[in-house]
Amino acid sequence: MLACLVNPQAVAIEVVTHHQVTDLSLTKSQLRRIYTMRQLYWSDNSTISVFVLPNQHELHQRFSKERLQIFPYQLNRIWHKLTYSGLGVAPTVVGSEQELIQAVINTPGAIGYIDDATLSKIEQSQDENVSTMKVRSQKASVIEKEQKSSKGVVNVVKIKG
Amino acid sequence: MLSKLKVKTAVTILSRINNFFSSIACFSRSIAFLLAALTVNIAQAQETNTYSTSQDFQLHGFVAQGLIDVDGSDFVNDDGELSAELTEIGLNASYQLTSKFRLAGQVVYLDGGNRYAQGARVDYALIDWSALTTENWQVNIYLGRFKNNHWLYSSSRDIPFARPSIILPQSVYFDGFRDIAVGSDGIASKVSYSSDSYGNFDWQFSYGSSPLSDEQTTNVLSELAQGTTEQDYDTQTSLYWQPAFSSWRFGLSLLDATFTYDSAGQGINDAFADSDFSFQFYTLNALYEGEKWEFSGEVYQQRFTIDGFYYPGFELDNIGQGYYLQSRYKLSDKITLLARYEDFYLNKDDKDGKKQEQNTGGLVPYYFGFHKDITLGLNYDITSNFSARMEYHWVRGAGRLTPVVVPNTQINDSEDWQMWAVQLMYWF
Repeated sequence: MLACLVNPQAVAIEVVTHHQVTDLSLTKSQLRRIYTMRQLYWSDNSTISVFVLPNQHELHQRFSKERLQIFPYQLNRIWHKLTYSGLGVAPTVVGSEQELIQAVINTPGAIGYIDDATLSKIEQSQDENVSTMKVRSQKASVIEKEQKSSKGVVNVVKIKG
Repeated sequence: MLSKLKVKTAVTILSRINNFFSSIACFSRSIAFLLAALTVNIAQAQETNTYSTSQDFQLHGFVAQGLIDVDGSDFVNDDGELSAELTEIGLNASYQLTSKFRLAGQVVYLDGGNRYAQGARVDYALIDWSALTTENWQVNIYLGRFKNNHWLYSSSRDIPFARPSIILPQSVYFDGFRDIAVGSDGIASKVSYSSDSYGNFDWQFSYGSSPLSDEQTTNVLSELAQGTTEQDYDTQTSLYWQPAFSSWRFGLSLLDATFTYDSAGQGINDAFADSDFSFQFYTLNALYEGEKWEFSGEVYQQRFTIDGFYYPGFELDNIGQGYYLQSRYKLSDKITLLARYEDFYLNKDDKDGKKQEQNTGGLVPYYFGFHKDITLGLNYDITSNFSARMEYHWVRGAGRLTPVVVPNTQINDSEDWQMWAVQLMYWF
């Protein structure tokens, strides 16, 4: 069911959003603007909630370099300035990949990233409807049944350019 | 000897912690409104059990403690002993009231010995109005106490892990001026424009003033100044430009401020007269961020005028200039090395300070006319939120020591001085 959502280029890290987010593709610049907190709203004017893993997490390091093409220390500089000078709000840091995907599933307007392998696991567990993803399964599967098109537990966003 | 030192240091740290807790009272009053917001929010969070509320309310902070040893100046203390007066603690909150309005505040407790007044202060407490947001534009208006965001490191100067070194280049980030320069009470604005073709532009403007305590007055002017100093206004603007997909960023900033000194009068033994001071400061800066190398630098010119103070009718008009160049190298994911050179003189017509020495009949030695600093440092990121840092400074000149206007030439009796510092930093 989710398989059709996986980017056919099969890159190692996917950008995911809350299932109600209507922007199903973003340009590379838009993704950078979102993660550097220069774009705060989706195209339907709903607030973007940005989630990240800790700075030293391997997936965060790879996401930063490969998808944003910004070095992790540059993101830190931008986010620290926002957080500790009162200028704005930085992304929410969560402890693990599991927490990150839960946050994206549960938060309207959320954006996050996920390892391809983890996404496949979710996809499998979703297909088998196993209880390992219990926390979200009830709500999510209902939504899935209602919206069988491109809407799953999360949207996998296509990054252009 | 060493154990005695340890005991002394431990006692100092304990008294520091004690001081911090007594300053908590001040803190709780200052951001009580935010804590109240938290209470409401927790209730809401329990109902909805989602992350959306954690997005609306955020709490962050940091704790840093270090040791610093200065040899040959009164930069940290008068006796030249190893000191634990290197404490920085901060707590901030941000609460999104509506989609357009946000409350934010930060309280910091600082102890840096002679560098600045010891104690807690409100770093910022503001309401942020998001006046315009489109895909490319963001316009924000800040009302209240806001931070100076105009210079390269002005907003991160007392955020230990966000600045490049424990002690920043003193010619720009002079600790003696910290409380005046770090922010103002007033209005500020930020206009950001992001374009795929031209890159990112950030324009900021601020207008306000800072209250000055008596301790700051003696720090900046003289230990003998018994009167009160007021900042009339402080106007600043800055523009930053990062070309599209570039590793470079360029900035410039302008500052204009005036101060008034009200003498306590000769009856109360104030040796100084009523005075007006004015200060203008212009900077250009550049930042390069590569995968391994990072380069940054600022060049600046300042103009400082005095009308009065020493005696009614006294006039001084000095133009000072300086720069620093800094390089950081990422040896690994966890280790970053730092090297920096800084050169500054207070009067461009008297770079070696000799004229000043003559004019004061030898009372102010020539080396009070400049400040040069070679710094080497190392930062070790132990985890994503915990770092250790160490650095060594070779300094020539006493141009950036307090008090400024009437210097302490007895303790600062040598042209060259050195310091080293280590600091542990935790943040969340």
